[in-house]
Amino acid sequence: MIKVQNLHKKFVNGKNKIKALNGLSFQANDGEITGILGPNGAGKTTCLRTLYGLLKADEGQMIIDNIDVATQAIQARKQLGIFPDKFGLYERLTAYEQIDYFASIHGLQGIDKKVAIEQVINDLGMTALAHRKTQGFSQGQRMKVTLAQALVHQPRNLILDEPTRGLDVMSTRILREYLLQFKHNGHCILFSSHVMQEVAALCDRVIIVSNGKLAAQGTPQELCELAGESHLEDAFVKLIGSDEGVAA
Amino acid sequence: MIQFKALLIKEFKEAFRDKRALMAALLIAFMAPVMIFSISKVAIKEAIEKPTIYAQILGSEFSPKLMDKFKKDKILPISKVPDNEKYLWQDRNIKITIPKFFAKNMFLGKTIEVVLNTDYSDKAMDSSIQRIKKSVDEYSRRIGHNRLLVRGVDIQLLHPVKLIEQDTALLSSNAAFISMLLGIYLLVAAFVSGLPVAIDSSAGERERNVLEMLLCQPIATIKIVFTKMTCASVVAATGVILTLGLTALAVSFVDLAQIGATFSLDFYTVMVLLALLLPICFFASSLQLFFAFQAKSFKEAQSTVTMIIMMPAFIPMALTFINDKPKWLDWMPISGQSLLMEDLFKGIPVNWSVVLFTGAVTLMMTFSLIHATAYRLKSEKAVMALG
Repeated sequence: MIKVQNLHKKFVNGKNKIKALNGLSFQANDGEITGILGPNGAGKTTCLRTLYGLLKADEGQMIIDNIDVATQAIQARKQLGIFPDKFGLYERLTAYEQIDYFASIHGLQGIDKKVAIEQVINDLGMTALAHRKTQGFSQGQRMKVTLAQALVHQPRNLILDEPTRGLDVMSTRILREYLLQFKHNGHCILFSSHVMQEVAALCDRVIIVSNGKLAAQGTPQELCELAGESHLEDAFVKLIGSDEGVAA
Repeated sequence: MIQFKALLIKEFKEAFRDKRALMAALLIAFMAPVMIFSISKVAIKEAIEKPTIYAQILGSEFSPKLMDKFKKDKILPISKVPDNEKYLWQDRNIKITIPKFFAKNMFLGKTIEVVLNTDYSDKAMDSSIQRIKKSVDEYSRRIGHNRLLVRGVDIQLLHPVKLIEQDTALLSSNAAFISMLLGIYLLVAAFVSGLPVAIDSSAGERERNVLEMLLCQPIATIKIVFTKMTCASVVAATGVILTLGLTALAVSFVDLAQIGATFSLDFYTVMVLLALLLPICFFASSLQLFFAFQAKSFKEAQSTVTMIIMMPAFIPMALTFINDKPKWLDWMPISGQSLLMEDLFKGIPVNWSVVLFTGAVTLMMTFSLIHATAYRLKSEKAVMALG
């Protein structure tokens, strides 16, 4: 379970102060897929980066499975599988070696590690590219390797920042099935996306973020009812009070 | 331990699979024997050969005997210079003026002023100037001695005190040019060999967005920095060992006995050199990682960190200009090792307590740099390369 309370974060660039998060609070429950929606610059990525410890919150609390991120960052990260917004690959390693590397970092070893790697490679349909060096991989192939790295240790909580960008239809379907399977196994999934159809189809709960704070939250149906609209996209535009960023 | 092993294996796989960077890193080791061999050959040639000096001699007709002495000492008029050396000696422009009253003053026993006119600040002229001065002095002394002898005066009266010079320098000290060059070269090799690996695994990884991914994982930054430092240091140490091995081989082909010198890299010397240089490999890599992680881009890291490699060349050179060296220089990284290498090459017994103390100071500074880098990696400004 991921719990965010009154999160504040500002960036200072010379004399300019940019308030990226302004008291954001929400909760992502186990056994649910929670989507974060918001226009560009709303604070989604800042929130996720703060959750996995790349940024330090100015104020507020983040709890992952009853572990405070601020005081026990490493313990908290052990509960996470992360798919960040900026991801790169070690281009001199094969896909298998990369997944193996991240599995070892999460403490897997021996036969357990081998089984876990084979499992995730099969699940994501990566067998053909597993033993190829990742240099020259397409965007979709790179995303698959990054996903495999995030999933190999079967984390209790999964944070994904726009995981389907660049994926083809087949890969997107595989990912959706994987996320649903994770959900049914009781894992907590938090992901940001701009694709309304995806959010509507996958998410149990949706958090709409605007100007660094919570604009609305609920199931896709509840949000549509709240805004008095039949489509989530229309409801989203109405709830954030602007059509800025919708086309992104 | 699982994490540490995984990090280390990954760093080594990445470093040793980047063939181009690895070759660039180890190129310095292959250049060492070529450079030492060539410079030694040139030095030996200059030391044992006495090339002919060509000077513009004005009034040569006034002193045929002085001209004979010049000829014997291979100092000839510029009119006799071969075509291939014409430009060189015209440029050097050495002018010797013999006065027209040379014979008259010689007869009267008066002092004759022979003028040597040239650019004394030009180091390339030193040898020529010394040889001309020596030739004129010998000629003058011989006539002076003859004058005293014909008057029945013992010429020993001219030398009431004679200084007997005894050179305590060992044969190995006479090869100072090789040892100084090799000392600097080895320090530079320790800094240069690991450089591409250090930059690639820090600023390079950030630019390829893999560092951000790694820093999100449940792993202490000290482990990340330590494994990167270890990998870069191993490559640096490989560069140093290769440099030593190939230099030992190259020096064996140079006949230093021609200039009364010997230089050998025996097993003991190599072991002492490694004891001095291995801490420097760790220090150099940690210093490079510290600065590379501060840089905002790979390019900035390259320009910043490249400046660091001037340190091992600059510090030993600077030490040669300090006559009374403060004691603390013996203990500092680079200066300490440089001074100890100087003693080693001179054949002075190794002071092991200084070797250990200097090594300990170097390693302590290495650990401080690792901790400082690990601390910086916890800062979002360093991680995101913010201003």
